[in-house]
Amino acid sequence: MNPQTRSHRVDADALQARFALRVASRLSEQAESLPHDLSERLRVAREHALDRARQLRLSQPVVAAALVTQGSSMALGQPPSGWLRLASLLPLMVLVLGLFFIQYLHDQAEIHAAAEVDAALLADDLPPEAYGDPGFVIFLKQPEQ
Amino acid sequence: MATDKELSDFLKSAEKRAFKRTVYAVRDEDAALDIVQDSMIRLAEKYADRPVAELPLIFARILSNATLDWFRRQKVRQATLQNFSDLDSGGEDGDFDPLETLEAVDGNWSAQGPVERLSRQQTLALIDAEVSALPPRQREAFLLRYWEELDTAETALVMGCSEGSVKTHCFRAVHALAKALSAKGLKP
Repeated sequence: MNPQTRSHRVDADALQARFALRVASRLSEQAESLPHDLSERLRVAREHALDRARQLRLSQPVVAAALVTQGSSMALGQPPSGWLRLASLLPLMVLVLGLFFIQYLHDQAEIHAAAEVDAALLADDLPPEAYGDPGFVIFLKQPEQ
Repeated sequence: MATDKELSDFLKSAEKRAFKRTVYAVRDEDAALDIVQDSMIRLAEKYADRPVAELPLIFARILSNATLDWFRRQKVRQATLQNFSDLDSGGEDGDFDPLETLEAVDGNWSAQGPVERLSRQQTLALIDAEVSALPPRQREAFLLRYWEELDTAETALVMGCSEGSVKTHCFRAVHALAKALSAKGLKP
């Protein structure tokens, strides 16, 4: 871009900005002459927003103070919400479910062991009634020769 | 961090412009009031702890988002997109120089007689109408850049586009306004 073109471009930009700012200034004049009821509604809306901000600011120091005065007891300064309560119950529920699961596994292992013994007894050549015979028990207790 | 007074002063200075910008976009004064109120509340609740210098940009973004939300809720997105497509139908004629309308403007507003006042109000209303008639993206870029006095980068941030697009929108908006006002024999 040669200096002449650049200079022309800068001039055009400056003129554009001047024109635009002039239009914007007329728009500001127009905006300042809004009907009274609209101005009032805007004022009320603004005050409402500022009230909300004020309330929010006031509530923050209360929470901070509650935290300080409660020391290490982790108080939030507000009653816990439903979700927080539910979340605090979650570890307890996990523990109870875990215990039930361990009990179930234990029962299954016992049933499996008993089934294995039964199967071994039934599959053996020796009839199961033989184990009820006192003579056979004495025979079993004798050391092998 | 902005104090209550700084926040109040900022909102007071911005509320009418915000309202007019929103009216241009949604064409409904009640809806515009709701949007501006929601935006002011959101600013006060979420961003009151920010430095006062950052408030104009944050508020402009909140207002733009709130306006967009309104359009979404109204299910007129299709209409909005249609308006956006107007950007491509620029139809610029190279011979026309809109900036000629800048000449010999100053001094017209100092007269304060009843006739002059009426004429002035009519002129303001016509300028208002012409701005309102701009395609949405051009109007938004123009108003953010020259009325809200954001710089090009900030305007691009609010509009979610590149700085080049902002410059193009502004150029077209200025061109269109100058042409329209010139056609009506008006000089802003």
